[in-house]
Amino acid sequence: MKNVITKTLVAGAISTAMLAGAVQAEVTLVSWGGGYSASQQKAYVDTYSSGDVNMISYNGGLGEVRAQVESGSVQWDIVDVLASDARIGCDEGLFEELDRSMFLPSPDGVSMDDDTMVPVPNDCVVPQIWWSYVPFHKADTFSGDQPSTMQDFFDVEKFPGKRGIHTWASAITEMALYADGVAIDDIYDVLSTQAGQDRAFAKLDTIKDHVVFWSSGAKPLDLINSGEVSMSLAYNGRIGGAVLNDGADYVTVWDGQVLEEEWLVLLKGAPNRAAAMHFLVHASSSQAQADQAKWINYGPMRTSGLDIMQAGEPWFNTGVTIMEHMPNTDEHMAGGILANPEWWADNGQAVNDRYAAWMAQ
Amino acid sequence: MSDTSITNSQELLLTNDGVPLKVSLRKSLRRTKIRSFLLILPPLLFLLLMFVTPIGSLLSRSVDDIAINKVFPQTFAQYELWEDKSQLPSEEMFAAVVNDIRVTIKVKDDEGIDIGKNLLGRSGTRMTYEYSGWKSLISKTIKSALKVDKKSKEEVKPFIWEAPFKDKMIKRDKRWAKVEFWQSLGAMKDPYTMGYYLNAVDLKFDANKNIIQKEEYLKIYNTIWIRTLQVSLMVTIFCLLLAYPVAYLLATLPMKTSNLLMICVLMPFWTSLLVRIVAWMIMLQQNGVVNDTLMYILPCFEGMVNLPFFGATNIDLCFSDEDRLPMMYNFTGTIIVMTQVLLPFMILPIYSVMKGIPPSYMKAAQNLGATPTRAFIRVYMPQSVPGIGAGCILVFIVAIGYYITPELVGGKDGIMIGNFVAREMQRTLNWGLAAAMGAILLAAVLVLYWAYDRLIGLDNLKMG
Repeated sequence: MKNVITKTLVAGAISTAMLAGAVQAEVTLVSWGGGYSASQQKAYVDTYSSGDVNMISYNGGLGEVRAQVESGSVQWDIVDVLASDARIGCDEGLFEELDRSMFLPSPDGVSMDDDTMVPVPNDCVVPQIWWSYVPFHKADTFSGDQPSTMQDFFDVEKFPGKRGIHTWASAITEMALYADGVAIDDIYDVLSTQAGQDRAFAKLDTIKDHVVFWSSGAKPLDLINSGEVSMSLAYNGRIGGAVLNDGADYVTVWDGQVLEEEWLVLLKGAPNRAAAMHFLVHASSSQAQADQAKWINYGPMRTSGLDIMQAGEPWFNTGVTIMEHMPNTDEHMAGGILANPEWWADNGQAVNDRYAAWMAQ
Repeated sequence: MSDTSITNSQELLLTNDGVPLKVSLRKSLRRTKIRSFLLILPPLLFLLLMFVTPIGSLLSRSVDDIAINKVFPQTFAQYELWEDKSQLPSEEMFAAVVNDIRVTIKVKDDEGIDIGKNLLGRSGTRMTYEYSGWKSLISKTIKSALKVDKKSKEEVKPFIWEAPFKDKMIKRDKRWAKVEFWQSLGAMKDPYTMGYYLNAVDLKFDANKNIIQKEEYLKIYNTIWIRTLQVSLMVTIFCLLLAYPVAYLLATLPMKTSNLLMICVLMPFWTSLLVRIVAWMIMLQQNGVVNDTLMYILPCFEGMVNLPFFGATNIDLCFSDEDRLPMMYNFTGTIIVMTQVLLPFMILPIYSVMKGIPPSYMKAAQNLGATPTRAFIRVYMPQSVPGIGAGCILVFIVAIGYYITPELVGGKDGIMIGNFVAREMQRTLNWGLAAAMGAILLAAVLVLYWAYDRLIGLDNLKMG
């Protein structure tokens, strides 16, 4: 009898250990949810045969990451981070510096770091996408004149109705200056001065009584659908995803869009370091980068990914062409502002404080 | 008792096995004490581990500035010697920055892994809280300060930058010639700082560590503190007004009906918070159920009417699209949703106290000639005060730290301090500031608790 009990216990312990081992091998990929995570699931995870990847969602920021790394109990492996977080996290040692020679070159043999659309900021990051903050509205919201510029977004006389904007300062301050007539190339120079910041906030004041704030990517679509606001800023892929996949009648106004980089990083002390690294190599390949755009209109960070898409048009999964929905086409870039993550790493605290004060007053 | 027996008989009272009774008694008492202590040990350890330690460590962050002081000790020492703080500091202070960088970069952790680079990176983040631009200034300077002469044949290759450093640093980045950067070091020079607390109430240090007001356009937290109190107070009052009659009904109705009512109270309590908030969004938003219903039922009348006294008057009584009430994504929305969410916390304690008030008291009062209203006010209400107190404290304390409801429905004028704690934790990574705000919240709750004890007495608190 005692023997049986011992055997059961041992068997139990072994199976638990195996189960734990199996769970251990599952790489955790943390991203932003919604249509964006769905595109990563289809392009990276479903095409990956060497292991399991579990996707979970977060709302940005490095708070959770820093808490995990500092406490030494890291639960996440790979995180999809914004440009400024990619820099701060690498500086602070929250991310692993990666062996660049492991990554796959483009089909033409260009190494990954020479294949990105902007210089790689540090050795922690793995190329992901280009995306942008853009205003949009429903096609039937305005009769007659249609909004076509960033100025129109700030003009509540000409285009009545509330405006949906996000609860942090990046992009919206740049847009305010651009709408106020500052040339795109001068925006960060102007924003670096006290007078320039005053100017941006004065412009924001003009719509202050007409704004509704959002903080999660799905919210702008709700606000527009329910009629709470007539125009809203949103992540361009949320709009495009609804248009391309679900036939929503949204109109995107590309003028004054603020383009942002997005990177994947591996947390320092990640529980499945080797498996996660293996997955990162797969997810950053030119093909995977291009595949991602089959499901959502975010531009691949790797130039070779864009080439694959262009050659393969119509590229989108529903059989329509995708290039005209990308934020980084020549036409859309004409009025596009490239976000400056270094500037935000430097000034983010002060400008965000001021923005929060503006919101609350 | 035993003492007298000892003195009387001049010998010790012994137990069966020859041990003095006193010792044996003490032993067995100690054993029970240890046993009962062992019984409470697991929950005690749990409390210490899961509650006291994390809260303590987070609170200690609100004054902790040790990290930056370990990275720039020479610089801060020079800061003390810097006399005229309106002029650029001397060469020694420029040199101290470079030296501190060169010392820090070699720091290793206990396992021998290089962490110097990360310490410097974190310092950059810390310094931008005091003055914008530090991060890129420091990282640029680090690169230049650590550049070595690769052609040198020496084993330890010498740095390219040699003293004097002042001109070289200013040439590398002209911001080193801005005295504001140097002045901002003053707020960081002590290993323990009140800076985060000052920041949390819209104050700051100047270069000489005097406390001054923040710039007008950066003032924000005092507004938010006041609003947080305002929202919590209003929610508590509305909860009390709504909960008291409900609790009275629950306590006095016959069992069968009151059980049904109780389920109505508890049902939302068991429903997910998010579901309830989203339901309110659907009800209250601009094109929501409430506004649509108002549009539908309110008469729309417009035209000339012949009124007595006034004569022909143009009357415009129309609830049109512009008149739709803004009830969501603002202060009103926060109050409405929080009141509904926190209502059970008020109903339940009041109900449990009312349940214990014998109905015969009211009857007795009326028999003695009081009107029902008078009997209710003079006899019933005073007895329900412990429940009211418990309910109010519970609702107020929960409300003051509320986060998720204001985040979702607060819009611009309904957000509370909890949202700012979250913002500092998640987005700006200024944990010191978040910890300071948390500590102030904790202190506010403790003060409230103390005031309650003085005014009403904690013995009069009945949670259920």
